[in-house]
Amino acid sequence: MMRCWNAWTTAAALCVHSVLGAQSRPAMISPTAPLIARAIDHENAGRYEQARSAWLEVVQAGAAAQGVLGLERVYAMTGDEVRVLPLLDSLLPLTPADAQLRGVQLRTLVAIGRDLQADSAFRAWRGLRPQDVAPYRDYARILLYNSRAAAADSILLEASDALGATRELLLEAAQMRAALGRWKDAAEAWRETLRDQAYYETAAVFSLAPAPPGQRDAIRTAMLAHQATIGAQHTLALLELGWGAPLAGWQVLKDLPPSDTVVHVWGVYADEAERVQAWSAARDALVAVHRVKGSPAVAERGANAAMRSNDPETALLLARAARTPGEAPRYEMVGVELEALARLGRAAEAERVLAAVAPAIGTRARGFARTIAWAWIRAGDVARARAALADATLDADDAVGGWLALYDGDLVTARRALRFGDVAAPEAVQALALLTRTRAQQSPAIGAAFLALARADSSAAVEQLLRASDELSDAAPLLLAMAARIETTRGADARALPLWTRVAEAFTTAPEAAEARLEWGRLLKRRGALRDARGQFETLILRYPSSALVPQARRELDALPPTRVETE
Amino acid sequence: MMRRWCAVIGLMGACFGAPLGAQHLLVPMDDAQANHLKAYGLTFGALTEGVRSEWLLNYRGGSFLIPDLPGFRRSALLAGVSFEALDASRVGQLRRDIADGNMDAVPLDKAPRIAVYTPPNTMPWDDAVTLALTYAGIPYTSIWDEDVMSTDLSQFDWIHLHHEDFTGQQHKLYLGFRDAPWFQQARERDGQMARRHGLPDIPALKKTVADRLRAFVDRGGFLFAMCGATETMELAVAALNVDIAGGATDGTPMDPDAESKMAWERTFALQNARLEFGGGVNSMSDIDGHQVNVPSRRQPLGTFTLFGFSAKFDPVATMLVQNHRAVLRDFYGVTTSFTRRTLKPGVTVLAHEEGAPWVKYIHGSYGQGSFTFLGGHDPEDPQHAIGAPPTDLALHPNSPGYRLILNNVLFPAARKRPLKT
Repeated sequence: MMRCWNAWTTAAALCVHSVLGAQSRPAMISPTAPLIARAIDHENAGRYEQARSAWLEVVQAGAAAQGVLGLERVYAMTGDEVRVLPLLDSLLPLTPADAQLRGVQLRTLVAIGRDLQADSAFRAWRGLRPQDVAPYRDYARILLYNSRAAAADSILLEASDALGATRELLLEAAQMRAALGRWKDAAEAWRETLRDQAYYETAAVFSLAPAPPGQRDAIRTAMLAHQATIGAQHTLALLELGWGAPLAGWQVLKDLPPSDTVVHVWGVYADEAERVQAWSAARDALVAVHRVKGSPAVAERGANAAMRSNDPETALLLARAARTPGEAPRYEMVGVELEALARLGRAAEAERVLAAVAPAIGTRARGFARTIAWAWIRAGDVARARAALADATLDADDAVGGWLALYDGDLVTARRALRFGDVAAPEAVQALALLTRTRAQQSPAIGAAFLALARADSSAAVEQLLRASDELSDAAPLLLAMAARIETTRGADARALPLWTRVAEAFTTAPEAAEARLEWGRLLKRRGALRDARGQFETLILRYPSSALVPQARRELDALPPTRVETE
Repeated sequence: MMRRWCAVIGLMGACFGAPLGAQHLLVPMDDAQANHLKAYGLTFGALTEGVRSEWLLNYRGGSFLIPDLPGFRRSALLAGVSFEALDASRVGQLRRDIADGNMDAVPLDKAPRIAVYTPPNTMPWDDAVTLALTYAGIPYTSIWDEDVMSTDLSQFDWIHLHHEDFTGQQHKLYLGFRDAPWFQQARERDGQMARRHGLPDIPALKKTVADRLRAFVDRGGFLFAMCGATETMELAVAALNVDIAGGATDGTPMDPDAESKMAWERTFALQNARLEFGGGVNSMSDIDGHQVNVPSRRQPLGTFTLFGFSAKFDPVATMLVQNHRAVLRDFYGVTTSFTRRTLKPGVTVLAHEEGAPWVKYIHGSYGQGSFTFLGGHDPEDPQHAIGAPPTDLALHPNSPGYRLILNNVLFPAARKRPLKT
């Protein structure tokens, strides 16, 4: 495929050349042009036999290079590559140093595995042009395209001996070394290539990205050595991004002295980070760009990235920076600013901001009542949250009202009102699941637990859930499971284990029992107790065969290492 | 619908205690089965424990009947294999149904001893049989050239061959991979093995290995081959004393008169193939109808249809085509199919592509043994490429293509009965 592409590229270049020539000299249309057009038509239509004849006519008409390139493509499609060789044998004596013909010859011989003949052809070409880098470069490239990196390495070494230190083969050396897995050497060659050919950044990233994790430190060192250029550092940053370390990538770029080029590089890095949803890195890059070349657009992107990276402080700063003096604030940025303040629990400030922008955004200001209410909830003041909603045109059954009722421990109102909100939201699913499990009408402990969750205070939430599990026997397994999930998510296996164990053993018929077995098994697996883990997965499957978690348990069983079936 | 109810009831029975008087577990292999591939592993496990089972040919996709023992219920539930508990009266009804139709109950007596011919190092492609056996939980022994050359193969009932090139040319992968470390290591390893056995080169080694495998079948073994192993096994056996390897492999060109010297009478299923003399053409012969690695000859993938056979008169062929699907999506391999022109008379075609000049799946007897060839590489990865990750069979528990492989694993367990045809 690569051979076809090369041939096409060359053919296209030749055609473009012909067309341009025709434009400048309209009276001198090449006599071979109709022949070439006909040959291409046959080729595109898959009429290879006719295409072959047509390209032969092109050769006979004097356009040897175009004709041979066409024949090369046709023969590649019909599996008859070898048939181009006799033609080359007759054409090359006429123009023995023709790079096009030599290229076809080398590509064909390498592709059909005639390595010795390819080597002879290369040496014949090199003999005609002893000081020319082209034979070395073309042959090395062909070998690389054919996955023959070791052979390409030999050619490049020969070039080095014959021509001395030359930078003209750095690109090939870089590709060859990467193909051979010589990552450090490859990185060094790429670094030097990028010194005066920065446009190869993408190629360098593509070439070095497959490096295994154990080799990446060597690449990092090599790319930054010897006063690496901005291009090399940018390449390394993009590699880090691809390797799943976006913040490490930003570390490479962040201390570059600001200039137009550097700001451009930061901007490109921010684009890439946004594309892969690496929001923290995108935020940092956009903050840096904004610091040097601030603009509302950059600030707005930065504010959004900061919100998504759970950094309300920075989001607040950038959202405010996105305002253009003398102009009304953009509605979207008001939302980001208020949301940031809400997350920070700065409810009073949020109310002041809303009041200030209300004249500019009109009735849409009412849409932020819930955000203000959440800000008060974060601040721990449920009464003020309720007051914030007073002016909003909320139904009696509004979901926010439902949440407030829940925080008050009023399960009856919460049970009715939460059904009108976003019932698919994770926190709503959790609350509704609990409210349908218990018949209790009041529970301050449950209210306190959900309020703690809203304030992102997981320790207090677990404490209150456990308290509630003692008070509400009909929902005890669910409350214990909720506490266990929080501990598991926090990575607190030691605290999660007794909770999952209790659910699994004391509430064997509860809906959470299967989940408890699965999580218990996974926890044991993380600890290396594979035999016991297997026991838990098997128990789940056998005891709860209709559970939706059974496929996951089977998957876990299949993944356990001792299932060796080979009898050797 | 009724079958689904049966499955649910069976499952409930398994959960809440067996129905009174249940004596057998029916493992359905139609669409009621949740995990067809592991069902073979369950049945194989029963045989391994010395428990006789039955293969109900053409009954609900080729179901299995195994004694209702607690261990099997447990194994089935853990593996996700659907089953139905049957009491004596339902078993009796089932047997009457089988007697009335094109069905038969074949006793499965003993777990076959399985060997998979596979290289000791990991190659950058997967092996569908190893994947299927591992996923189904069926034990096997790995063998390689040294084992074939030095040990008694009669210790195995069933040998599987997958991707090997028995002409010793490594499927001409030197065209694209001769600098790849895995290719060079494989060449070095095979060269050392040839020297160790006093053979001049790799083609000589591989052809000798192929001939020993041929002798294994001749003496009563079962051979199952897929992908490139099918075609190259035949070429190697026919060319035991003919140079059919190109210069890139052994340094000498192919014998220009090779075609006329091929001993086709020694091969299993194929004959009179036209050899590929072009060293740069990634093809061995015209046996393969699809020629996936030669762009101008490559044929598109279609579907192939399994033939139906008389269960009572042709039990072996019937076993090999048991499936819950009759039409399957085709899949490429180094050898994808077998041209009809090269089939020997007497070879049973198990599956073909309607209207195409090739067949997909063939079977036949050879000496005292038998062979089955299935073209293609991986039934669930129609265009599997070198370096592609292996197929995760947990995502394909009902794969009809993989069922064909497992049919071959189980059929040597069937008790021999006099052939009626």
